[in-house]
Amino acid sequence: MRVLLAVLFIAFPFAAFAQAASAAAGRGTDWIAIGMFMAIVLTTLVITYRSAGSTKSRADFYTAGHAITPLQNGLAIAGDFLSAAAFLGISALVYANGFDGFLYALGFLTGWPIVLFLMSERLRNLGSYTFADAAAFRLERTPIRLVAAIGSLVVVLFYLVAQMIGAGKVIELLFGVNYLIAVSSVGILMILYVTVGGMQATTWVQITKAALLLCGGTLLGFVVLRRFDFSFAKLFAAASSIHPKGEAILAPGGLFAEPVSAISLGLALVFGTCGLPHILMRFFTVKDAADARKSVFYATSCVAYFSLVIPILGFGAVPILMSDSSYFRVDASGQFNKITDLIGGPNMASIHLAHAVGGPVLLGFISAVAFATILAVVAGLTLAGCSAIGHDIYGQVIAKGRGSDAREVWVSKVAAVCIGIVAVLLAYSFENQNVAFMAGLALSVAASCNFPVLAMAIFWRGTTTRGAVTGALAGLFSSVILVVFSKTVWVAVFGFKSALFPYENPALFSMPLAFLCIWLFSVTDRSARAARERRAFDAQFVQSEIGITLAAEGRVMAEATS
Amino acid sequence: MLQFTRDRTQEIIRDPRFRNLASARAKLRWSLSIVTLIMFFGFIALISTAKSALGVAVAGSSIPLGLLLAMSMCVVVVMLTGFYVYRSNSRFDELASLLNREFRQ
Repeated sequence: MRVLLAVLFIAFPFAAFAQAASAAAGRGTDWIAIGMFMAIVLTTLVITYRSAGSTKSRADFYTAGHAITPLQNGLAIAGDFLSAAAFLGISALVYANGFDGFLYALGFLTGWPIVLFLMSERLRNLGSYTFADAAAFRLERTPIRLVAAIGSLVVVLFYLVAQMIGAGKVIELLFGVNYLIAVSSVGILMILYVTVGGMQATTWVQITKAALLLCGGTLLGFVVLRRFDFSFAKLFAAASSIHPKGEAILAPGGLFAEPVSAISLGLALVFGTCGLPHILMRFFTVKDAADARKSVFYATSCVAYFSLVIPILGFGAVPILMSDSSYFRVDASGQFNKITDLIGGPNMASIHLAHAVGGPVLLGFISAVAFATILAVVAGLTLAGCSAIGHDIYGQVIAKGRGSDAREVWVSKVAAVCIGIVAVLLAYSFENQNVAFMAGLALSVAASCNFPVLAMAIFWRGTTTRGAVTGALAGLFSSVILVVFSKTVWVAVFGFKSALFPYENPALFSMPLAFLCIWLFSVTDRSARAARERRAFDAQFVQSEIGITLAAEGRVMAEATS
Repeated sequence: MLQFTRDRTQEIIRDPRFRNLASARAKLRWSLSIVTLIMFFGFIALISTAKSALGVAVAGSSIPLGLLLAMSMCVVVVMLTGFYVYRSNSRFDELASLLNREFRQ
């Protein structure tokens, strides 16, 4: 009954979308698009309703009872990872800059083998619910859980707000509804998925989205390539002959020209992926390390395939859209900028492309896919954020691991509602701010706070609690401070003339600093606790290799060696 | 009980089969990671040093070299992960679960 009410509650703003559909593109009410949006919202709500019974225990709520199969989990990981920023943002970068946009996709993709080789199996063997389980395996619970939770929450909030603002803009543009209604609806939906359906619902929303995104991308790519007789040569020739930058779009350009910035961005893209809490959390949804490993292979294949499709969409949009002035804001003299005057901005390139090659039906489908993409990512982020609060802060630090399942899940659900509300409020108040820094900051913090702590705790015997906490805080604060001093905040948000930090991404500096601090403050740690933690490495090593004990016994084992 | 677990840990660590498993896995893990990182950051280095060469079309087609390299890297990444999963499935899983069963008792 509660769910039924919720459905009505949700359906209302979406019915409002219907009234104003596609107003931005000036094509009148688009019932096909609305129908597809409604179908997606209804599908996800049915999924949530059917998962409602399975959120009683911690294992159910955080990990869907560790019962997801590798293929399902692989698709869900891809669904969790491929955000609207990847789908709309990277195709827009290719549309505007050509080759350079492709490099972003390549950076995101390169993180995956590293996740597989270094993270997935050991994480599954050492933990049960959040990545902090593995980091705190032999280190002291309270400080490690706290810094891991703070790192997670910073990443989740910045990523979430960036996604919500993007979502609000896309929905506003597609349907002409008020931005606040758009953002609130996304917020309400993600709170519902997480609180009612937990990981089970989130997983299936993500699987649905991954399937839709792969089908949608393939369909769009196929239709585009057919226009060019399935010849890349013809596609590239047509694109470079009409693009304002001409032939230059086929070669590396300005974005990666300066080596320090390029390496810094590359580090954030590759190692940030290894430290994203919502991605790491997904490895606990399968039954063992072998399944975690297999699921990363499926996920990598999906992401790689998508990385190949995205440039086709970006390059295809160039000749198809730039030759048709109806997709641009044309000024009185009939002039328009082929990149910045695209209606809704370059981020809408794929959406317009769908209309250009497939009419209103494909437009509706691709818009709905973009919407599903946003929903799946924000749901995964919310779940990761609320588990950091519920499991790491409440369950492990406040209740010291002795709280009941029901109580911890309840705290997590309350946290999910709070995170949702905070995200909506932040997305609303930052609506007209330049938020380009947010996604970059989230990745930098993931690469310089979460990843170093986890990697060092898992792989280096010498790591102590003092070192890990100092390193995590050093990585966290240095990335935040350097981003604030960089052009994207210091100049673009605060309006100063020149930036104090000359590069856009801090990872090249903050990540080594975190590793250095972990090392330095660990080797100089002569306390009895440090000696105990180094001795406990053996037990951790055995468990990480052959998963000999279950998580509950693992703690006994770690204590036993102390 | 505590002493028992500590002894058991040392017993497993000293077991030659466990040592073989751990070192073979470590070798695979670190070598593939290094290959992946060299490939990606090498490509970035190539871009900042030989930018113009990457824009030249590959002989016999009109696809630029840089784009072709980037596309092949997507395929190579899948092959690397596939290789790792195949190796782990075929070589390590059986031994790991055998050791797990044996020492669990």
